[in-house]
Amino acid sequence: MSSSKASRIGEETRIDKVNAELVTLTYGTIVAQLCQDYDSDYQEVNKQLDKMGYNIGMRLIEDFLAKSGVGRCANFRETADMIAKVGFKIFLNVAPTVTNWTSDNNQFSLIFDENPLADFVELPDDGRAQDELWFSNILCGVLRGALEMVQMQIEAHFVSDILRGDDTTEMRVSLVRYIEDEMPPEEE
Amino acid sequence: MRRASRYPLGDVTVFSLIIINKAGGLIYQREYQAGLRSLSTNDYLVLAGTFHGVHAITRSITPKLPLAQTSPATTTPGGGGSAPPAGYSYPNPGIAASGLEHLETEKFRLTCFQTLTGTKFLLFTDPMTGNVDTIMNKIYELYADYVMKNPFYQLEMPVRCEAFDRHLGAWLRGRT
Amino acid sequence: MSYYFTILSPTDTPVFNIAFGTSKSGGDGIARFRFPDTAQYMNQFIIHSSLDIVEEAQWTNGAMYLKHVDTYPPAAAYISAFLTPSGVRFLLLHQPPQLSNSGGSSGFGASSILGSSSNLARGSTSSIAANPTSPQTEEAVRQFMTEVYENYVKTAMSPFYKQGAEIRSPVFRARVTAAGKKWL
Repeated sequence: MSSSKASRIGEETRIDKVNAELVTLTYGTIVAQLCQDYDSDYQEVNKQLDKMGYNIGMRLIEDFLAKSGVGRCANFRETADMIAKVGFKIFLNVAPTVTNWTSDNNQFSLIFDENPLADFVELPDDGRAQDELWFSNILCGVLRGALEMVQMQIEAHFVSDILRGDDTTEMRVSLVRYIEDEMPPEEE
Repeated sequence: MRRASRYPLGDVTVFSLIIINKAGGLIYQREYQAGLRSLSTNDYLVLAGTFHGVHAITRSITPKLPLAQTSPATTTPGGGGSAPPAGYSYPNPGIAASGLEHLETEKFRLTCFQTLTGTKFLLFTDPMTGNVDTIMNKIYELYADYVMKNPFYQLEMPVRCEAFDRHLGAWLRGRT
Repeated sequence: MSYYFTILSPTDTPVFNIAFGTSKSGGDGIARFRFPDTAQYMNQFIIHSSLDIVEEAQWTNGAMYLKHVDTYPPAAAYISAFLTPSGVRFLLLHQPPQLSNSGGSSGFGASSILGSSSNLARGSTSSIAANPTSPQTEEAVRQFMTEVYENYVKTAMSPFYKQGAEIRSPVFRARVTAAGKKWL
């Protein structure tokens, strides 16, 4: 499936919308509360966000498939286009750029020009958050959870974030393996 | 709907719905219209498990396709047995495209829709009912909304979501 | 003209302070108060003493911008006020430059933003700079307040900002400085 077709699906899929600021404020509150609950242990906050995202992803994938009506991807490159141009488009109304592929086609980067989760956000100025907190880390978990449900084990993490003063917000996604044991060929 | 109404005896008739999780367990079973004989709960569990196994076998005998091929999926309504594989393949060359899609008897047709995540929806309809795909898509959407998005629903566990029952029931009744 | 801008929480806690000078008619944006030695605390004192009048004025009409509300003649300090619906007060003290015999203390002992000896452009007669109660000034202050308000809302929406706490965001400070440069 060509990436322009993916763009079209992303544009055309209709999904209920909510006010963006409601999302931004809700998410911001969650992160801020986690930072408070874990005494600014940002490694732990990152982990919790990822875990929350994972649980969301496992559920959201069904919504994604039901509403977009897309079929199975032929390869990981197609999967990347689907994530960027359909998934992010219908759920967050952004379309990150897919880039920086490794030669084995198993790793790519998503570059976010805008990030609705991070509007208004300024990281705490305690000198550590800038280096340790990945504010939007929930997105990594969402991808991990969603792709696991369609038999892809991946690893995702942010490598830069505009909130930290970097030039771009970039997430690195690597395919670990296709999950084979989706169904046992014979019951024993 | 319109197509169905052309058949004087064959309205859109949905007898019942079964949902099977990806491990082959029965997680949902509801009857919407009389017409089929009921099974005991235990038999439904057996049906789910058996179907799951048969489905897995039909998938494993379905030939794999070359990866390059990317024409859109075509569903071929037909009699019992495994449907011909659709014109796309998995990124994972080890898995075939699809398995058992329809089973038909004189009195009912069983349509199976397996999502990419492995959940199976089994819909028992009148053999004359058309547009089963549409019904199936709607059921999938309602499932995504009221089951998967219910934060208190535990994945892979039996579905006890009152809102899902209500919306699905209302929608199925509304269209018949 | 020199300015001292303060944001007060509904419970009168100062959450943000900034001093700056005019950038109009050749101003260099550096505050030069008349009494640089005492300006740091006198400005705050003058601003806080205007709160009674602000509280009176806020019920006279429904506007958020209350215009010029108070004057403290000994320091030639004029106070303009802006209220947010949540009860946060934006207070701007403006002090026109002394027209002659200014000289100022030579800036020793005062920080560079509060006092300095340079007298360039001090005597300008631009309407904003010279006349704190003219309609042009009121309008410029209103524009400034509105712009600061927009940025304040964004800052207050940051999940890590606690309501009523000091605003330490460098971004906000930069934006206020920019607004001051633009309008005042």
